[in-house]
Amino acid sequence: MVRLHIDYDLCSGNGRCYALFPDLFTDDENGYGQTVDGGRVSDHELARRATLCCPEKAITAEE
Amino acid sequence: MSTFRLADVPMGIDRTAGFQYVRAAGDVVQAADDGTWLLTSEEAVRFAQHNPAIFSSAGAIADQSAGMLPMPPVAVDRPDHTKYRKVLDPMFSPRVVNAMEDELRCQVRDLIAAFADRGECDAVAELARLYPAQVFLTFFGMPLADRDQLLDWVETILDNGNGVGTAQGSPAVVDSATALLTYIADYIERKRQSPGDDVLSRVLALQGDEAWKVEELLGFTFIFTMAGLDTVAAAIGFAMRNLALNPDLRRSIIADPALLGPFIEESLRFEPPAHLVTRITTQDVDVCGVRIPKGETVSLYLGTANRDRNRYADPDAFDLSHSDTGHLTFGGGIHRCLGSHLARGELRLVIEEFHRLIPEYQVPPGFEPEVKWPAATLRLASLPLTFPTTTSR
Repeated sequence: MVRLHIDYDLCSGNGRCYALFPDLFTDDENGYGQTVDGGRVSDHELARRATLCCPEKAITAEE
Repeated sequence: MSTFRLADVPMGIDRTAGFQYVRAAGDVVQAADDGTWLLTSEEAVRFAQHNPAIFSSAGAIADQSAGMLPMPPVAVDRPDHTKYRKVLDPMFSPRVVNAMEDELRCQVRDLIAAFADRGECDAVAELARLYPAQVFLTFFGMPLADRDQLLDWVETILDNGNGVGTAQGSPAVVDSATALLTYIADYIERKRQSPGDDVLSRVLALQGDEAWKVEELLGFTFIFTMAGLDTVAAAIGFAMRNLALNPDLRRSIIADPALLGPFIEESLRFEPPAHLVTRITTQDVDVCGVRIPKGETVSLYLGTANRDRNRYADPDAFDLSHSDTGHLTFGGGIHRCLGSHLARGELRLVIEEFHRLIPEYQVPPGFEPEVKWPAATLRLASLPLTFPTTTSR
């Protein structure tokens, strides 16, 4: 199990995370991403790919 | 100063050659054209994006043609910038864009239907150029019948300048800017009298601390037309060119719609229409070991940042798997393109509807799509396509 985290000092609302990984992220009314289920993901490879999608590198995965 | 000149960059035919030329000048290079500093590596660009107090937008995008109007949020620094984006982000969010999908899809379908039976079209002149103007008019609550007049004003201003908001004060530019501002001001007054469900009306409805002055709304709408029309037109032109020249890729996208999103992202990464964005330094600053003095003009070169080898193993290949890694075409940091969700939506609708009516098409043999250079926006001047008509298929 890993935990995805969005750093809101870096997030600028690109919206890639919830567009590409709708099971892991959702959007708020301003178009900023939010993790689903507290960011908990069992598939490590999926979580790794999710960290890459962010143009701002605002998404990290912690063991 | 180096001998590097932007005007010498071989950009017209091939952006890969152009970006390689820019990148070879170094991470940080002062151009001999006008002394502007270019940041070409991803690291350098990100450093500037994430230090907006040092790399200021206020004053970097001064529009002589529009006088002293404020240009929020593009040409505004924190803390005011935060206030503007808080109001504007929800008006251009994916939710809002998705809610407009049916209407925007009908509009692009009509544009394509107008030439679908002809067997040939210019995808730039008859589609890419027109559609973003219509989408702007739709969002801002203005009639589509004003499209060609709007484009005439906007293109006169942009074609006679060398960048967003840097138009020279030629009589034609001043006349067009004055006419465009008068047009917008007239609609602001109309929306005040009779509000609708559009961006102008929503901004006018803001109360108390959030309320905008009329000149703020005027400047915002003006800069939106300067930054949001020809950039989207350019992105549509590049995407259609990529599809026309790669029939196998095109057919695979038609067969598997899940590939369309990755294709759009890779097209955006490969040739960012706004290949550079400008800032002014507020203090001396070291970037990648180079000292840039206070008060200098700095260009964040997104075209080369998108081709950085630290981010992509083979950055000059057009490869849909690159879409797994985010690009910088919409900028980054606090000034991330407000219209990015709208632009992505427009690209998707154009391609879906084009392929619904015209799945097979090609660039006529011998025609080489070219961009004007130097230019603030990279865009194909023309993209002729030929295709079987419904009757001949």
